Amino acid sequence: MESNNTTIWIIIRRMRIPFLVIIVTFAISILGLTIIPGIDDNGNPYKMSFFDAFYFVSYMASTIGFGEAPYSFTYQQRLWVSVCIYLTVIGWFYGIGTIVALIQDKRLARELAISRFRKKIVSIDEPFIIVLGYNNITRDIIRRLSKMDMRVVVVDKNEEKIEELELENFIPEVPALAADASNPDVLKMAGIHKKKCEAVVSLFEDDSKNTKMALLCRLLNKHIKLVIKSTTESQSEHLNNLGINYVEDPFKFISKRFYLALTSPNLWILEMWIFGHILKMKEREKIPHGLYVLCGYGRMGQAIGDALEKAGIPYNYIDIKSSTYKKRKKSAIFGDAEDYEKLIDAGIEEAVGVIAATKDDLINLTIISTARKLNKNIYTIARENTLDDLGIFKTARVNRIYILERILADFSYTYIAEPLTYRFVRILHTQSEEWGERLVAKMQKVIGDNPIHYEITIDKEHAYALSKECRDKSIELRVLKRSREDWKKELKIIFLLAKEKDGTIHMLPEESMQIKEGLSLLVASDEDSREDLEYIINNYYELYYVMTGQEKKFSILERFSKK
Amino acid sequence: MNTQKVISGFFIILAMTINFGFFYGDPADLQYHSAYELFAAIVINLIATIMKLGDKTQLGSVLLATSLVADIQLIASATIWAITHYIGDGMNMESTVAVISLSGGALMANIISVLLFIGDTLKSKR
Repeated sequence: MESNNTTIWIIIRRMRIPFLVIIVTFAISILGLTIIPGIDDNGNPYKMSFFDAFYFVSYMASTIGFGEAPYSFTYQQRLWVSVCIYLTVIGWFYGIGTIVALIQDKRLARELAISRFRKKIVSIDEPFIIVLGYNNITRDIIRRLSKMDMRVVVVDKNEEKIEELELENFIPEVPALAADASNPDVLKMAGIHKKKCEAVVSLFEDDSKNTKMALLCRLLNKHIKLVIKSTTESQSEHLNNLGINYVEDPFKFISKRFYLALTSPNLWILEMWIFGHILKMKEREKIPHGLYVLCGYGRMGQAIGDALEKAGIPYNYIDIKSSTYKKRKKSAIFGDAEDYEKLIDAGIEEAVGVIAATKDDLINLTIISTARKLNKNIYTIARENTLDDLGIFKTARVNRIYILERILADFSYTYIAEPLTYRFVRILHTQSEEWGERLVAKMQKVIGDNPIHYEITIDKEHAYALSKECRDKSIELRVLKRSREDWKKELKIIFLLAKEKDGTIHMLPEESMQIKEGLSLLVASDEDSREDLEYIINNYYELYYVMTGQEKKFSILERFSKK
Repeated sequence: MNTQKVISGFFIILAMTINFGFFYGDPADLQYHSAYELFAAIVINLIATIMKLGDKTQLGSVLLATSLVADIQLIASATIWAITHYIGDGMNMESTVAVISLSGGALMANIISVLLFIGDTLKSKR
């Protein structure tokens, strides 16, 4: 409560002296005018009343100047007025000057920003997510969350970043505050202790900062989801010990995904499809098996090396550290005589693929082009560090690009907004290639190459008719697949995952599964079937038709008897 | 000795004493009550109010409130005087008593303010 009023206190403190100056100068001027004798129009002596004097001084001090009132002044009065003019006008301008300075005052502006931010947080009455730090990754996450109508709150230390965010015009509005998130008060201001706060996203570059944020957030609110980035094993373990079961390690994600791509392309394509790829492998994405040359052996290089080793594929690595490379050669262009030799030594001419995994995008690109010069048909894989360089990598026709920022954004978004999809991806990694092949073939046959996926929860809000109907009737999952044009036909729908209210997970649920309230489903279908499905679960008449094959008759009698 | 305390104490007490000076006398007869005294009471009260601004404590808030009450009463008193004098039909018994009793109310507020101020001073160990 007290800090809410800080703005007012700042103004009052600063305005004290100007107010005093104005009151004192006014008082002196008014008093003088009432004492000094004047002469009225008829030549009779008179003294100004307090009201006359107050009126005159008020317009004199503010430099409005209506003239001498109520009668022309005598010279004695004018002498006093000329003193008063300088006295009051200076006092008045001093006061106005202070107000103008106050408006520009940084501290006041900050206090105002904080109180506006507080108000916005208080007015959020739906679930929201706190994002710490505004950058390429979080911008991507916020965009997607906003599309799903989820509310986001952003805290970033850097004021410029906050201004950048405000220019983005996210809808719904994203309240943002420029403050240090490692301060618990700031986190509280952002609403971390509220029931409506669902998750905190902390994807800072610095691992230890992420850990600190994780600890702090856990202490402030036990029940929220935490999306924390960690790039080292020990850090991840430390986070696990804190009871944080979801840790984002982009290199681990890449390692797993690359392993999948090497060993089971069908599972790989399923995972890629979840993140927006089409459900069909493009020719240039097929990974050849044979010797690989791995350039750069940092965290990323090692992660890919692990995947290759696990898949039993030979590789040679060249340890290129982008920072020392740049320092030594004074350029970020890979490809002088020494580099050629290194590549040839590593067997680039016999290799089937080259992987550029350094921390510098320019070095990665030049590694790819140098490798191509030495081996025309080589398969190229590159690490792209920031989303800004996406265009360059695309034009360089790199066969496969791993964009760290995109992967982080994908996983964070899925974890927060689409929990079933996230579970599906996790389970994918434990399945066999045959399983994946069967599923992909089935999906391609039923839906086509470009199915969409979405989650549906059977509750009053999302499935009005079904949630009521399934209480006292037994409805099987297959009913939902029937077309509302002809109940004997099937919609282009595949149920990928079902989660019961108590948390039991069914991968590829049976068609005979009973629908209960609170069940949530991960569905793959095309756009038309999605529309049909949503009609069926929300509309009594459509639901009745697909259940029985008959039109539901509306009868008032039935209504009454039900009650 | 605390200069800040001296100055604010001076104005708080002066506001009360001047207010009393205007209020004292036959409430039906304006001859006992000088307009200059009312003017001085208003100015000193305003200054006292500003001296109390910016004190975030509980006591500071109550002191500020009493001062604001005094200000409003005194300004209302002066306003009634000006209105009846210039717009109405001159000062009569009713308006005279109104002017004086309003300043009496302001005096009450000022007395409370002084009592609080003294109480705070006694409580203070420095």
